[in-house]
Amino acid sequence: MAIRYLKTYAALEGHLGAEDAEALLAWLRSKPRPLVHLGRCESLHTALLQTLLAFAPAVKAPPANPWLCQALGLTPASNTPPGSPA
Amino acid sequence: MNTSNEILEQFVLEARECLEAIGQRLLDIERRPDAPDLLNDLFRSVHTLKGNCGLFEFEALEHVVHAGEDLLDQVRAGRLTYNTAMADALFAAMDHSAELIDAIAAHGQLPDGAMARSRELARALRGCLEGRDAPAAARPAGANAPALPAPPAAPAAAALPDWATALPAGWQPQARPGYCVVRYRPEPECFFKGEDPWQTAQLTPGLLALQVLQPAAWGPLEAFDCYRCQVGFLILSSSPEAYLQEHFRYVPEQCEIATLPAEAAAPQLGDAHQQLLGQRLAQLWSDQIAVLQRPVPTGGTVAAAHQVLLNLLGVRSGLQGADGAALVEARTGMPGDEAGASALASWARQHHPLGPVAGDAPAAPRGISAAAMPGASVPDENGAERGGHKVLKVAQDKIDRLMDLIGEMVVAKNALPYLAQRAETHFRQRELAREIKNQYAVINRIAEDMQHAIMQVRMLPVGTVFQRFGRLVRDLSKRLGKEVQLVIEGEDTEADKNVIESLADPLIHILRNSLDHGIETPEVRVAAGKPGHGTLRVSARQDGDRVVLDIRDDGAGVDTARVRAKAVERGLIPADRADALTEAEAAQLIFLPGFSTAESISDLSGRGVGMDVVRSAVERVNGQVQLHSVRGQGTTLTLTLPLSMAVTHVMMIRSAGCRFGVPMDLIVETVRVPAEDIHRFKAAQTVVLRGRIVPLRSLNELLGMDEPQTLNTEREHAVLVLRWGGEPVGLVVDEFDGTSDIILRPLEGVLGGMTGFAGSALMGDGSVLMILNPKELL
Repeated sequence: MAIRYLKTYAALEGHLGAEDAEALLAWLRSKPRPLVHLGRCESLHTALLQTLLAFAPAVKAPPANPWLCQALGLTPASNTPPGSPA
Repeated sequence: MNTSNEILEQFVLEARECLEAIGQRLLDIERRPDAPDLLNDLFRSVHTLKGNCGLFEFEALEHVVHAGEDLLDQVRAGRLTYNTAMADALFAAMDHSAELIDAIAAHGQLPDGAMARSRELARALRGCLEGRDAPAAARPAGANAPALPAPPAAPAAAALPDWATALPAGWQPQARPGYCVVRYRPEPECFFKGEDPWQTAQLTPGLLALQVLQPAAWGPLEAFDCYRCQVGFLILSSSPEAYLQEHFRYVPEQCEIATLPAEAAAPQLGDAHQQLLGQRLAQLWSDQIAVLQRPVPTGGTVAAAHQVLLNLLGVRSGLQGADGAALVEARTGMPGDEAGASALASWARQHHPLGPVAGDAPAAPRGISAAAMPGASVPDENGAERGGHKVLKVAQDKIDRLMDLIGEMVVAKNALPYLAQRAETHFRQRELAREIKNQYAVINRIAEDMQHAIMQVRMLPVGTVFQRFGRLVRDLSKRLGKEVQLVIEGEDTEADKNVIESLADPLIHILRNSLDHGIETPEVRVAAGKPGHGTLRVSARQDGDRVVLDIRDDGAGVDTARVRAKAVERGLIPADRADALTEAEAAQLIFLPGFSTAESISDLSGRGVGMDVVRSAVERVNGQVQLHSVRGQGTTLTLTLPLSMAVTHVMMIRSAGCRFGVPMDLIVETVRVPAEDIHRFKAAQTVVLRGRIVPLRSLNELLGMDEPQTLNTEREHAVLVLRWGGEPVGLVVDEFDGTSDIILRPLEGVLGGMTGFAGSALMGDGSVLMILNPKELL
């Protein structure tokens, strides 16, 4: 799984490793108003996380992982807020 | 049950490793007290040991290790200077720990009364802290006394660093006393080490809240480097500090962990909120009493109420004006889970926050026991993670079994050449015979590789034995008032595990002898023009298929005059013979059984186990001992050992129609002696070989066979010249029959009592070869 760069947005899908960061960085730089789709992103490497934080692109769909949502300052798609006691 | 046994075994194994490392480091530090890396290393070992103890309830063990850790922590931080008193206390604590571990390994539990000794040692260790605040109070490490957390003491709050006090909004409801806050700041290059800090942070045990710490400014985005880690993490976890340290063990220097003191629970609430909280709390408290007073409270209700009250007690400690002492009293007075509803209810009334129902003591919060609870599944997790190391620990019997199987395989493959021969001569199948031989070549190669590989598995560096020497030399030389420097060389030299293990006792014996008899006291040494401190040099090297160990001291050397006198006095040799011995031969007298020069039996040597024990121990693994001593300059003992005991090289001989094997390492030479050259003097036969008289014994006679030894066509006897206690002895046999590598199997069962044989071996053609033990025979 990797990042699919579409016409209007980039779709981050599955488990993303550090090697994907470089391409994402280049893509973010090339777009004046980047948009990312994280709906099917299951996990990502710190390198990608900090890249997203630095560029703060608009998010088309938030990820399912509550911790990741919280880190990116998004409202999770699911109903479980991070840290809520199980 | 099985799993927990395995974990316990693993614990014992690792604890022993830790103790070994600790002992080594303690000695190293004594030599280089100013090396911070050694101290850090030592601290890490002690810490690991303590962490491991925490997984089990070995309180006595943990108590003493914990005290050691505290002491080392202070030393490491530079607040105390390492000194000999500390070293002695640490050594004593270490010895005690080793005993406890042995007890655990043997019985699965600590012996009774271990705690008393632990307390004593821990006191000694803490004594080294010299009136410092017992650091245990400042670091409620959770594992130490989970059932009774430290009282909400003011110093604990002071110890909390700035970054941990200002928690993000929204974390307060989850922050409880005893929980931990972690600030994890990965180093910028961490991605290149394969780390993924975000993943690590998310997997924190007991994770409750997680915040990404972003840099104040990201800088120009054109220059942004996605492979330089610029973020950090702030983590709130319900796990005790020890588990977090374990989780972040690969990045300890990038992590700061702080345990929340009781006050942290609600520190920033305004007065109004405090009041409200107090009211709610009192309400809930009363509710619990009401629940407990219901006509028929079930067990589940009581347990639930118990838990709620316990939690409320924790919250109360965070309230303004909480009376710490009273809360502690309330916590200790709290009935256990098993107590009935009425007991709990009366306790709750007694310690009501508003102090109404009975008595006015405001109950005191107690650190919540939650810190101890989330750990249940953690040990397993850790175990699984450790299993991921590249090193596999395998029980020795499994390796031995593998080796036996390979041995049988070697024997079985040796049957193929016979088969090929039969195919050719008996069945006239030339073609088939050649194919069998080809197959044999392939199987032979694989079998040899397998054998070689398994031998490698069993190889250990001799350094594993040497490790214990440092401590031994240190203690003994101190006790004897001698200054001794131990130099170890070639500890990487490898040899079979059995060989190495059989070495440990003889070597310790030799070292003791050198320290006791060899090296002189500093005054004597200086008077003799030698440096005040003696040097004991232990070196190992590989020489062909043998391992050679030299133990050299620069002491007084063997006092041959005294050795002669003692040997005569003890009736070990006749006086006239003693005088005729050369210096070198006289020095060998110390190997005689029963020899001791000690006037009185001292603590160290002279306990009746002499150098003959050393020699027999070494010879048991087919090794040899040589002694070389120069009066006034020192003594060198050289041990020569086989690399491996698995395969024995034997010479096959025939006598009275039977085939026997003789271990090759005993054989000096094989000669043919014309019958008329043998001198007979009564029953004794001798022959002169190169100007030396060599006594001859006939094998048939030794084995009780009535046939005379046969001669070959030139009327010559076949004589095997063996080394026997430094002297050559000729063994007359019928015929030599070539050499062979065999797997020696000791005689067992009914045959076990037979003397004269070292064992048996299965030959490739299916026959059994009896291996002679010439030492017993002669």
